[in-house]
Amino acid sequence: MAEIEQEIRSMVAKIIKRDEKSIEPGANIFTEYGVDSLLGVEILAGLDKKYGLDVPEQKLREIKTLNDIVRITKEQMSKKAG
Amino acid sequence: MMSQGTSVYWRKLIRIDDPVQENYLKEFKSPLEIFRPFFYFIINLICKFYLNIRVFGLENIPKDLPYIIAPNHVSALDQTMVSYAIGSKRRNQMYTLAVKHFYDRFFPRIFMKIAANVMRIDSEKDFFPAIRAAVKVIKLGKMIYINPEGTRSETGELLPFRAGVGMLAVETGAPIVPVHIHGTYQSMPPGKIFPKPSNVTVSFGEPIYMDGYIKRKQNEMAYDIYKSVTDELLKRILSLKVRNENL
Repeated sequence: MAEIEQEIRSMVAKIIKRDEKSIEPGANIFTEYGVDSLLGVEILAGLDKKYGLDVPEQKLREIKTLNDIVRITKEQMSKKAG
Repeated sequence: MMSQGTSVYWRKLIRIDDPVQENYLKEFKSPLEIFRPFFYFIINLICKFYLNIRVFGLENIPKDLPYIIAPNHVSALDQTMVSYAIGSKRRNQMYTLAVKHFYDRFFPRIFMKIAANVMRIDSEKDFFPAIRAAVKVIKLGKMIYINPEGTRSETGELLPFRAGVGMLAVETGAPIVPVHIHGTYQSMPPGKIFPKPSNVTVSFGEPIYMDGYIKRKQNEMAYDIYKSVTDELLKRILSLKVRNENL
């Protein structure tokens, strides 16, 4: 799972155009990194592309931090597997 | 690149491939529409003798529907000025997204239903439902009026443009007509309910066609393409603004 966390960090960094090391796992990406809500949707689109996870748009409201993205990815993976 | 081809997800979100019922738009037509010719007769007099309106660039409006009309937004007069400028034939083909805090007030709602085909939205909470409604308008071959700033400017200055209008254009393929409205803020800024005499200018720019942007979808992140459409729209509206302010 640590590998997935790293992959997600790397993907998010590319989408929001920041150095991946500069992303704090608990930092609010919208308020602290100036990510707009549609760029937040692009993160869900990235998860769809990379892992085939059709994350519902309602989940966007739960996403504030990198930790949230990792959690939602794991939830959706479990849902898909199970 | 990791996020290539992400447009697939966006297309699912806005349900671009869902069929649209032919009668969908009837919902946004009001019986009050019968007063529209008389309303615009009065607006015509107000525009000519009170607001001293000048209209430029009507030749830039595409001959074929559908397309997106994208003006700046500084006053409650804006939509009516654009509707007046485009003329009755086009006006009746145009659908406008109206924010609910405005639409839900009795007199503004009556006014809007007479003036235009309006679709009530909550721009913050209902972003995707609003975009889905706009998609349907375009798929039914009509014109959609959208403020790229997403809300009205309280200062008269342009606000940052949101990428939503770019997404709508790229995913439907509809061209965007950039529009700059000048003078409505001076006439009736937010908070005022009666216009003051002013010099209003409405300028239509050359349409932004989507072919080149659509080709980029295979190789680039969808958001970046939407954003570049929106950036181009901002550039063109700024150029119209400079011209309008120096007339």
